[in-house]
Amino acid sequence: MLVISNLLKQYGDLVAVDDISLRAEKGTVFGLLGPNGAGKSTMINCISGLLRPTSGSVSVGGFDIVDDPTDAKKLLGVVPQELALYEDLSAIDNLRYWGKAYGMRGEDLASRAKEVLGNIGLADRSKDLPKTFSGGMKRRLNFACGIMHRPHLILLDEPTAGVDPQSRQRLFDMVEAERRHGACILYTTHYMAEAEQLCDSLAIIDHGKLIAQGTVAELRAKLGARDVLQLSGAFPGDSSQQAIQKLVNNGLSDLELIAQEEQNITMTLSDASQHLPAIFAALAEVGGNVSETSLRRPNLETLFLLLTGKELRE
Amino acid sequence: MSLFLASTRKDLARWRQDTNALLLFLAIPLLIGGLITVLMSGSGGAKPHGTVLIVDQDDTFLSGVIAGAFGQGELGELLTVKKVTVEDGMANMDAGEASGLLIIPKGFTDAFFDKQPVTLILKTNPAQTILPGIISDVTEILLDAGFYAQQLFGEDIATIRDGNLEGLPDDVFVSAIAVSIQHKIEASGSLLFPPAMDIDIVPPPPEQPRIPYALLFLPGVILLALMFAANGLASDYWEEREHGTLRRLVYAPGQLTAFLAGKALAAGLVITLIGGVTLVIGFLYHGIAWSKLPSSLAWIAISGVALFSWFGALQMLAGNRRSGNLITSMLLFPLLMAGGSFFPFAALPDWIAALGRRTPNGFIADRLTTEITSATTWAIDIQSWLIVSTMAVLGLALCAWRLQTGFARN
Ligand SMILES: Nc1ncnc2c1ncn2[C@@H]1O[C@H](COP(=O)(O)OP(=O)(O)OP(=O)(O)O)[C@@H](O)[C@H]1O
Ligand SMILES: [Mg+2]
Repeated sequence: MLVISNLLKQYGDLVAVDDISLRAEKGTVFGLLGPNGAGKSTMINCISGLLRPTSGSVSVGGFDIVDDPTDAKKLLGVVPQELALYEDLSAIDNLRYWGKAYGMRGEDLASRAKEVLGNIGLADRSKDLPKTFSGGMKRRLNFACGIMHRPHLILLDEPTAGVDPQSRQRLFDMVEAERRHGACILYTTHYMAEAEQLCDSLAIIDHGKLIAQGTVAELRAKLGARDVLQLSGAFPGDSSQQAIQKLVNNGLSDLELIAQEEQNITMTLSDASQHLPAIFAALAEVGGNVSETSLRRPNLETLFLLLTGKELRE
Repeated sequence: MSLFLASTRKDLARWRQDTNALLLFLAIPLLIGGLITVLMSGSGGAKPHGTVLIVDQDDTFLSGVIAGAFGQGELGELLTVKKVTVEDGMANMDAGEASGLLIIPKGFTDAFFDKQPVTLILKTNPAQTILPGIISDVTEILLDAGFYAQQLFGEDIATIRDGNLEGLPDDVFVSAIAVSIQHKIEASGSLLFPPAMDIDIVPPPPEQPRIPYALLFLPGVILLALMFAANGLASDYWEEREHGTLRRLVYAPGQLTAFLAGKALAAGLVITLIGGVTLVIGFLYHGIAWSKLPSSLAWIAISGVALFSWFGALQMLAGNRRSGNLITSMLLFPLLMAGGSFFPFAALPDWIAALGRRTPNGFIADRLTTEITSATTWAIDIQSWLIVSTMAVLGLALCAWRLQTGFARN
């Protein structure tokens, strides 16, 4: 349904999307993960035709978004990261208007607007103006406007930002419903947990580069069973590193140093909790001082940390 | 087509809620128009009042009648009659202190009864329009009446003049005159001789139209309504951009033209409504023929769309909303000033008026003046309709180009 080939987008000198290729099939949810500024929205904007790629191509259902925009756009539904609603037009009129923008009319338009409004739980607010809605309600309406015309490819750019758990669950249900109807969904987020719950396959990007791609199971396998250990405090540069290297040499062979700064050390190893005393002792020996310890079981969130040495969210 | 009307309906629904803005668009012209009308009509909205100076060199009963006629009845409310010498009269006129100066030459009464040509001199104040017009009209009516009276009843009047008026005329004498007058009325039928008397109106400078001055303000005031409304509504493009709805529009396949045309129609309807209310009030106040309303409304509607599309294009050419508003308001006031909204063209120096008629709003106001003051309806020439329609289309094309070249994307 969606084929991205060697997509490159530059803003002046800044490379926001750096030579990324992906495929997403119908009836699946494809997760696009990355921290703030990774280039997720830029990719979405290139796919939707809002931005022209510097090079590379995007094809939607076989139609190139640059060469054949009209056919490609008919298949596309976009839920932008920023709300895009007429705040002074009733909820139902917003839906009808966007339906008409995609050529819907008559009975089909009326019944679809009602159906969608019911799905997002706003049936009883249909005549109210969005400016009187809560943030979560606006998000849901924003979603509904993008899927009114039953698109084959839905681009969701962080649909859950600033949404309470109840609204979030509703959005997930709607995404599931669209997938069941055979749509392909590109889901952008920086919440790994969301991606794990929703997505069939994933791509992780950072600084515009694709750093990992695969199904959730494939990516989990990459992690192995190692825990992630993060220590905060004061750690003298070279000597701490040498102390940790000594631990590796003395039996902790699967310990891997991910990142080391003056105040932070991040490493992975299996059964970390049993080795904590040894690690603390080794660091104390070289004048290190641990003030805070964080030990995490492996998940996709830690995968990002392993791949980039930094947190997905600050 | 589907999106075209949907776009109109959606904008009308949205704008309807902003009653404050709509009332403001309406209040501005009504306030300024009302103010001008009050100022034009003197204090407290009363009728204008002026002075007519009369130099009566003849100093007879008849010249006294003419002079006195200006002080009678309703005219008396408008005019104060002052008898002066020629020198004082001229000096007063030069100082612009009086509305008119009428000189009745010596020998007027004799010439009148002897059916000899005689010339009255009337000088009017070029700085005023209404009162001098009234003065010359009244003088002409008086002289016409005098002429026909003299043609018909000259002998009888002479009889009265020559008769002994100290005693009462006897019945025979009166009935003889009455019978004579009766005969002459029957015989005269449609008597139409060129008057032997003439009035020499010293013409005020040219360019002084013969239509009421306050009426000349109406088109400018309506343009005030059109310009404010068009400018105000044009900032809606920023509203749409900031709410992300323009971006969403770009996601949809090829609908920019329908969207723009729909918005232009909505703006045209709102502007026509606002301009139309102002127009109807003007029609009522000035007693303009209602048959001119459809053509005037049509002109306002197409002009409103043209102004809206160009204000919209200017807004979209600006880098941000603030500079967009700055540019359009910096244009708005000089254009209104030059385009006859605060001073009608008739009151402006020729070269400024000529320039003002070339501003978009001045052009529209000028043609609207033609429409409401001419003797016929649909008086605006076809070229003007074509120019305004073309401008509307060009403005919308510019808007479409800006939407496609990035305005919608951020
Ligand atoms: N219009 C623009 N002009 C210049 N640089 C831009 C523009 N838009 C985005 N960028 C830059 O491109 C990079 C990618 O931005 P993008 O918005 O795609 O990130 P993102 O992954 O969507 O982040 P977030 O999670 O915060 O939404 C950032 O460094 C950003 O500063
Ligand atoms: Mg983003």
